Amino acid sequence: MTAFIVHLAILAGIYIILAVSLNLIVGYAGQVSLGHAAFYGIGAYASTLVAMSWEVPYPLAALWAMLVSGLCGLALGLPTLRLKEDYLAIVTLGFGVIIDLVIRNLEITGGPDGIVGVPTPVILGLSFRNPLLYLLLVGLGVGFSLLFTYLLVNSYHGRALKAIRDHEITAQVMGINSPAYKVAIFALAAALAGLAGSLFAHYIKHINYESFGLHTSILIVCMVVLGGMGSILGSVLGAIILTVLPETLRQFQSYQDLIYGGLLVALLVWRPQGLLGKGKLSLKFLERKE
Amino acid sequence: MVWFADISQEATPQTMFLQQLINGLTTGSAYALIALGYTMIYGILGLINFAQGEIYMCGAFVTVLLLATGQVPFLVAVAAGLIGAAILGLILERVAFRPLRGAHPLVPLISAIGASIFLQSLALLLFGPNNRPFPLTFDFAAMNLWGLPVNTLEAVILLAALGFMGLLVLFVRYTRYGKAIVACALDRDTARLMGINVDRMVSLTFVVGSALSGAGGIMMAIYYNATYPRMGFLPGLKAFSAAVLGGVGNIPGAILGGLLLGVAESLGAAYISSSYKDAIAFIILILVLLIRPQGILRGRGH
Repeated sequence: MTAFIVHLAILAGIYIILAVSLNLIVGYAGQVSLGHAAFYGIGAYASTLVAMSWEVPYPLAALWAMLVSGLCGLALGLPTLRLKEDYLAIVTLGFGVIIDLVIRNLEITGGPDGIVGVPTPVILGLSFRNPLLYLLLVGLGVGFSLLFTYLLVNSYHGRALKAIRDHEITAQVMGINSPAYKVAIFALAAALAGLAGSLFAHYIKHINYESFGLHTSILIVCMVVLGGMGSILGSVLGAIILTVLPETLRQFQSYQDLIYGGLLVALLVWRPQGLLGKGKLSLKFLERKE
Repeated sequence: MVWFADISQEATPQTMFLQQLINGLTTGSAYALIALGYTMIYGILGLINFAQGEIYMCGAFVTVLLLATGQVPFLVAVAAGLIGAAILGLILERVAFRPLRGAHPLVPLISAIGASIFLQSLALLLFGPNNRPFPLTFDFAAMNLWGLPVNTLEAVILLAALGFMGLLVLFVRYTRYGKAIVACALDRDTARLMGINVDRMVSLTFVVGSALSGAGGIMMAIYYNATYPRMGFLPGLKAFSAAVLGGVGNIPGAILGGLLLGVAESLGAAYISSSYKDAIAFIILILVLLIRPQGILRGRGH
């Protein structure tokens, strides 16, 4: 039972990093990304491959995962972030489908079978084989992501992002380079997703395409929306709820997705700003109501 | 050029190309029909209805289940499929979208995703995960239409799709209700001032758009001889790409985008790589958006 709780806690930690990073894109930059799991997957495979081929120390592998995911985010963000948010949604979604197919078909990623035997992280002679120790490592990752996000959104740059989200034209008039900000935040969020991917791969030890498909992207979006866009604490809460809830619904296996989809619609109709939504988005909702 | 030989025996490079082209046009016509649903709804509400693929699935299921009883004539079953799809669209609009009108654009998008997950798993519970073959068998006679290697089924599907599209264009251009929908798409507030019942027009848009998607679903259920709960998922995504490709909110654009995407996918799968078939639509979408962010046909044409 304890082992199960530790397992859940590790997964929840990984999803917290993912949700918080996506929240940067959705809640602070006001953009839509439906392909966040692609960066998660890129991070997982980058970290695994570098750790298995060159036996680099784990921190380097994690950094490499962040770098590769971040660069992919930059590559996708540079040309596409001038698009309107609806178009961006479908482009990121398409990117997710493309990465899914690439992972499924490339030889280096093990094709549809994936990669087995991802090495256990060893830092300064300390092996993280024990799940409790691994939870500590994930906790470190979560702490870093939360601190980074918190400092970012409360800095000058965070205020600039919120200005872009609330009124892009006004923000530009005030001298904020909005395309540069959007691309930068997109790449940063992708890098954080890469970190989550690395943590996931070295924990679960066997990765294949199934963990990084559209289903996961949508799950992350749901965590952000459930918790409330633009609220860090909300994303944390959303990630925990949506990690634990499916496990408790497991006994109703066949009804799981049904309940899940139904709850999502009901929640949005009842509380469009999410559980812990910030005032600004909800005010906008009231103002524009017809 | 005209080929007199039986196409199934002699697959020259040209006939293979033409066959892929026809195949692409046929699937493309289904994409176009779903894309019309997306485009009309986007045009009037600025909303991406992610559950459009499930409406497509619903149309196919109603028809297949009715035909499987063996007591319903084909055309009645098809009509019932269209009506079923339209009713589902109407319910979705009432339950998942109307309460969210005016919210942050991401909110209805997520609500649509939720509805899509819900409907897919509902279909999975009700009908099981297996493929259902189409209850009727059709004559797959190959024919040579001015040298094009078409079989009767493809010809009928293409004609029916073109017929539906033509009806839609006539409806939107020349009827009172069609014009009212366009007016709402152009400017909802002004339309209301002119005495148009905007809510009713939004419902009507959902009815018409959903019926078209349902028609696409029935056609593909016949063409691929398979109906299953997740059948609408990828076609839905691709049809949205098609709508964006043609310029969202643009009716001729959606038709053009759907057909282009179907052809590109079919040719790409045949000549480049079949394992990346599902990626082709999105690669094209990204490339088009980079060059022409407003889509191939600009603006909201009707």
